[in-house]
Amino acid sequence: MDITPYPKLFLANDLNEALRALRELADSAIPLAGATWVMRAPLRCETADRTLIDLSRIEALRTINIDQQEAVIGALATHEQIANALNGYNDLAALAQAAGHSANPAIRRMATIGGNICTAEFAAADLVPALLALDARLEIEGLDGSRTQTMAAFLEARATRAHTDLVTRLIIPRTQRTSTHARLTLRKAGDYPVANLSVSIALGAGGKISAATVAVGAVEAVAKRWTGFEEAIIGHAPSPEKMQMIAKTCLEEFDGRDAMDAPGWYRLRVLTGLVANAFSTLQETTLGRAM
Amino acid sequence: MQNTADAAVMNFPRRDARDKLLGRTKYTIDVGGSEVIHAVLLRADVASAQVLRLDVEAARSMPGVRAIATWEDAPGAHGIGIADHPIFARDVIRYHGEPIAAIAAETLEQAHAAAQAITLELAPLPAVLTMAQALEKDAPLVHPDWKDYDILFEGAARGGNVAWEATVARGDTDAAFDRTDVTIVDGVYRVGRQSHVPFEPRAVVAAFEDGRHHIQTSTQVPWTVRHVTARVLNIPESQVRVTVPAVGGGFGLKFDCSLEPYAAILAKKSGRVVSLVNSRREEQMTCLCRENAEIRIRSAVTADGEIVGREATVLMDCGAYGGEQVFLTTMTAHTLGGNYRLGSVRLSSRAIYTNTPPNGAFRACNGVYNTFALERHTDEICDAIGMDRMEFRRHNVVGDQDIGATGQVFEGDVLRPMIDRMQALCAKHPNGRENGQRLDDGRIYGRAMTVGTWFIFVGPSAATVNLNVDGSATLVTSGVEIGSGSMMHALPQIVAAGLGIAPEQVIVKTADTDAAGRDLGVGGGRTTVSIGAASAAACDEVRDKLLAVASEMLQTAPEQLVLADGRVEIRGRPGSGTTIQKVVAEAETRTGPISGSGAFTGPGIEAMPGCAAGHFIDAIDIPVFAVHDCELAIDPDTGQVEILAYRVVQDVGRALNHRAIHGQIQGGVVQGMGYALHEEITINDQGCFDQTGFEAYRLPLAQDVVPIEFDLFEGAPSCGPLGTKGAGEVPILNVGATIGCAIANATGKQVSQLPLTPPRVLALLDGRDEPLALNHISAIWSDNTLRR
Amino acid sequence: MTITLTVNREERIFSGDPRTPLVDVLRDHLRMTGTKAVCREGFCGACMVHVDGAPMASCLLPVGSLDGAAVTTIEGVATMEHLNAVQQAFEDHDVVQCGMCFPGMVMTMSRLFQTNTSPDRDEIKAAMTGNICRCTGYERIIDALMSIRTNEVTS
Repeated sequence: MDITPYPKLFLANDLNEALRALRELADSAIPLAGATWVMRAPLRCETADRTLIDLSRIEALRTINIDQQEAVIGALATHEQIANALNGYNDLAALAQAAGHSANPAIRRMATIGGNICTAEFAAADLVPALLALDARLEIEGLDGSRTQTMAAFLEARATRAHTDLVTRLIIPRTQRTSTHARLTLRKAGDYPVANLSVSIALGAGGKISAATVAVGAVEAVAKRWTGFEEAIIGHAPSPEKMQMIAKTCLEEFDGRDAMDAPGWYRLRVLTGLVANAFSTLQETTLGRAM
Repeated sequence: MQNTADAAVMNFPRRDARDKLLGRTKYTIDVGGSEVIHAVLLRADVASAQVLRLDVEAARSMPGVRAIATWEDAPGAHGIGIADHPIFARDVIRYHGEPIAAIAAETLEQAHAAAQAITLELAPLPAVLTMAQALEKDAPLVHPDWKDYDILFEGAARGGNVAWEATVARGDTDAAFDRTDVTIVDGVYRVGRQSHVPFEPRAVVAAFEDGRHHIQTSTQVPWTVRHVTARVLNIPESQVRVTVPAVGGGFGLKFDCSLEPYAAILAKKSGRVVSLVNSRREEQMTCLCRENAEIRIRSAVTADGEIVGREATVLMDCGAYGGEQVFLTTMTAHTLGGNYRLGSVRLSSRAIYTNTPPNGAFRACNGVYNTFALERHTDEICDAIGMDRMEFRRHNVVGDQDIGATGQVFEGDVLRPMIDRMQALCAKHPNGRENGQRLDDGRIYGRAMTVGTWFIFVGPSAATVNLNVDGSATLVTSGVEIGSGSMMHALPQIVAAGLGIAPEQVIVKTADTDAAGRDLGVGGGRTTVSIGAASAAACDEVRDKLLAVASEMLQTAPEQLVLADGRVEIRGRPGSGTTIQKVVAEAETRTGPISGSGAFTGPGIEAMPGCAAGHFIDAIDIPVFAVHDCELAIDPDTGQVEILAYRVVQDVGRALNHRAIHGQIQGGVVQGMGYALHEEITINDQGCFDQTGFEAYRLPLAQDVVPIEFDLFEGAPSCGPLGTKGAGEVPILNVGATIGCAIANATGKQVSQLPLTPPRVLALLDGRDEPLALNHISAIWSDNTLRR
Repeated sequence: MTITLTVNREERIFSGDPRTPLVDVLRDHLRMTGTKAVCREGFCGACMVHVDGAPMASCLLPVGSLDGAAVTTIEGVATMEHLNAVQQAFEDHDVVQCGMCFPGMVMTMSRLFQTNTSPDRDEIKAAMTGNICRCTGYERIIDALMSIRTNEVTS
C-alpha cells in the first residue's frame, strides 16, 4: 500500500515544494518538465515506478527576460516560446534557430530547455550546443541555496548528477556577436539530428573573425566545444568555403558515435558540410546586414 | 445511352470519410468498455532456445487474471504450403518475439503483471540470423523435423533450411551462355526488410457465443482467419465466425492470420469478451515485413540486345516460419522473369528459414525488390553492350503473343506504348539536364526510367445482391475496407451501373463469414477485379429476374428493356416504363423478393507444360504493367537524396474512379520512396530488430514527398469487370528500381542495395564500401537448387 | 488522485494514476476513441488534441499535469451536420483513406488555419511535420488544404 503523502504526480506550486519533494522521495522521484522524454520511458523499457514532480505550475520557471546585458530563460520555457522570444536577436540566433527547428512542431510546443539539457541519455539535443556556443551559464537551486555553473561543467557531471536540485534558469550574456545553428536530419525535418553545430563569432578589422565559439552535438554522446576549429578560424574571413576547408583539418577532436540512425564516420563526414551551411546562413542573414 | 461500363465511371466520393473525419469510426482497437477484458502475449526475448520449463501456475492466481493459454490449448500447426507454424512455442523458441503464453485479465496492467509472473527456463541454442548462415554446410536447422510436417501443397523441393524452392526452366540456358556471340552480365543485389506500419496495429476482439467463436478483427482475410483459427484449435471451421470493423490500414500485413487464435482461446476459457492489441513496439518487432532478399542474375545478351539466356537465384528470408514467403517464391517467375522476352531462362526462388521474426506479404510483395534487381541488371546490360537504356527496353519488353518465363502467351502490346506515353509525359517538362550534372546548388542530378510487371491476384470471390423494395440494393460480400476505398468506390459504382441505380443507393455490407460466401481476401489488387466480377455476375442475375417481371408488366420483350435512373424503360422511349420499386413489389407477389448471386475465380491462363516446379500458380491471369520515371538530386556532402519529380504511367485496364486511383498512386509511390530512401530495419546479434518505433523507423513525412504526375493507360486486355484491373497495389512496384537506377545514373556507381539512406549514398559516393558480394549464391545456377 | 478537466466544454473527473497519458484517459476512461494512440512517442500526431487552444500530443501529457485545463478533442471540433473547414475540404476532395491519422491531421491543421489563414504549400508541409500519414502520400491532403486557403483569400 502506498503510504507516501505524495501522489504519483505531484504538482509543485513553488520551487521549494518541488525541491522538498525531490529530497524526500530521492531516487523514487524524477522532475517532470515538458514530459516528452519521461513519458516515453515505457518505449525504452524503463519500468521504474517513479513519482513525477511536475514543475509546470512554477510560473517563475517559465519567464524569458532579455535586456542589454543578458538573456535569462526559465528552465520551463518551451522550444516554441524560446524560438519566438529570441527572434530577431543576432547574437542569440543560434538558440532561436535550434529551438525553432528541433523535432516537430508539437514536441517544440511541449519540450522545455531544462528538460533538453538535463536528459543525459539524449545525445542529439539541439539546445545544448547552442547554449555552449553562446557561453550560457546555468542557475541551479537546491534546498541549501542556489549556484551558477558553466554549461561545460554541468555537462561534465550530468550523467551522475542527483536530481535533488533543479536547473532553474539559463543566463546568456548579450554580445555584439552573430550566431547560428545548423543541423542535419536524415529526412528533411522531423528527426533528431545526426549532427548539429552552433557557431557564434565576432568580426574584427576587415571583416575577419576576431572571436569564435563553436559547439558540436550528436556526433559524440555529449555535445562539446570544437576548440581546435575555434582557434583555427581566428583571423580568417568567414567565407563558407574557407571555413569548410579549415574544418576538414580539425576533425580529429571527435570520435564519431555509432548509433542506429548513422555510423560514427558519417557524423564526422557531414560535419564540415554543416560548417559551410552555418557560415552561409551567417553570410546571408546577420553578417550580410552587419557588413 | 451510356453503356454499363461508361455508367460506372465517376468520381464517387467515399461514404466513410465523414465519420473518419469526426473521429466516430470504430476500428477494432476502439472496441472496448467495461465488458471487455484485456490480453497480452508473453513473447520470447531470445532468438533460439530450448524450453526447459514453462510454469504458469503462479500467474493464474495473480489479481484480475481470467485465463491463460499455452501450447496445450492450440494443438494444430498452420502455414502456407507446409504446416510448420504452431501459434505457441512448445519445446523450442525459434525467433525473438515468438509467443509462449497468452494472458487475459480485467486490465491491461494486470495482464502484464501476470505475464511477468510466468516461470520460463530456457537453454540457449545456436541461431542462424542470416540467409548466408542458414545455407552454410552443417548450419543448425531452424526446423530439424522439417520432413515430418504436413504438406499442404505438393510439388516443391524442400530441405534443411530451405523451406520452399520453386524453379523455372524453359529452353537451354547452357547453350545460350556457351554462345560465342554473347556478352555475359552477372549482378548481385540485396534489399532489407520493410515494415508496413499500418496506423491501426494488428488487433482482435473475440467472444464465445452460442457455442461458436466470434472474432472481430482488423484483417484483410476473414476467411483465412476462420480457416487458420479452426486449424490450430482443432475445431471445425463452421465454429468460427469472423466479422471485420473498419480496418486502419493493412498494406499486406493483415493478409495472414496472426493474433486471432490467441484471443479466441482466451475468450472461450474466460467466458469473456477479450481484446488483444499489439503495442506499437510489438507491432514493429514482430511485423510480418516485406522480406529481405538476396538476388543474383546472369544474362547472356547479344550485341544487338537480344537476351538469349537468363539465370537467376532469389533468396527470400522467411524468418522462423515459412508463411507467405512460401507462396511468394512463385512470384519470381513473373516479376524477375517478367518485363522482357527471354530466349531461355532458369530461375530458382527459395524461401530460407532463419531464427528471425517471420515475414509476410507487403504491397506488390516480391515484385518490388525483384524489379529493383531486374532494372538495375538491365541498366548494367545496357552499359556492358553499349546500348541506350530506352532503346534496349523498347526492343525487349514483352508484347502481343510473346511468351513469359513460364511460357504463358501474353496478349496485346502494352508496355511498349506505355513507354511512349511516358516519353510524352516527360516531354512536357524539358529541362535539358544530364545525368551526373551539377545543379546550381552543387547537388548531382540523376534520372531513370524503368518498367515493371505485376499481376492481379484473382481467385475465388462470392457476392449476393438483394434488390430492396425501396429500389436500393444491398451487396453482400466478404470484402473489407482497409482504407484503399475499393469497398467505397469501385464496388458500389459497379453494382449501380449494373442495375441502373445511383451508387448512393447501393449498400455495401462489410465482411461477415456467416453472411457472405468465401473469398480469398482484400489484397493483391483483387478487390475490384474478383469481388467486382462476382458482384457484376450477381447483378446480372438480379437484372434478369427484374426484367422478366417488368417484361410482363410493360408487355415488352426483356431485350427491349433498359435499366437507368432507378427505372425500367422501353429502349428508345424514356419515361415509358416504370420504377424499379414497382417491379420489385410486383415480383414479391409473384415469386418473392429479387436477389442474385455471383461468383468468380479467374480464367485460368496456362503456362507451358513442364516449365515451372513448386509454383502455386504457373501463369498470371491479369498482368499489370507500370512505367516509372524519376528525377532526383543528391547532396554530395550528406548523401541526402531529394526527389525532384516523379512520373507514373500505369496500366489500369479501365479507370472507374480517377480520384481514387490518384490517391492510390500518390500513396503507393510514397511508400516506395520510403522503401528506397528511408525505411530501414536492421537485425542485431540478438536476432531482434533495432528499430522499435517511429523515431528509428523513418516513414516519409510531408516534406519528403512530391506530387506524383501520372497518366492512366486504359484498354489493355483484362478479364476484370468492365475491363478493370486493380490499381492500388502496383504503384509501389518500381519505385525502388527507379530511384536506385537514377542514383546509379547520377553517381556512375554500382547501386546494388536498398534502402539508399544518406549514409549508404555517401559511402557510395566516397567509394567507402566494398562492392556487394553474395558468395553464398553460386555462379553455377544448378548449385543454387535442391533438384541438382 | 482526482483530476478535473474540461473536455469539449464539459467538466469531466478522472480518478486514477495521474501519470496516465491523456490519450488513455480519453480513450479508455471517457471512451472517446476518436483520438488515436499510434506511436506514443510524439512523432505520428494521431493523438493530437487542443489543450487550452494549443495542439498537443496527448500521448505525452500526463493527465495529472492538466488539472483544470480545457481539452478539445476531434469529437469536439464539429457536429455531424457541420464539419469545420478543414474537415469539409478533406471530405470534398475525397482524400481520406484508412482514416487513422485524420483526427490528428484535423486537429493540427484546424489550428494552423486559425493562426494563418493563407499558408503556402511549404508552410502547410512544415506544420504537418509531426503528423504522419501512411496511406495517402500527403499531397492530396495538401491540395485539399490549399483549396480552403484560396477560398478565404477570394472571399
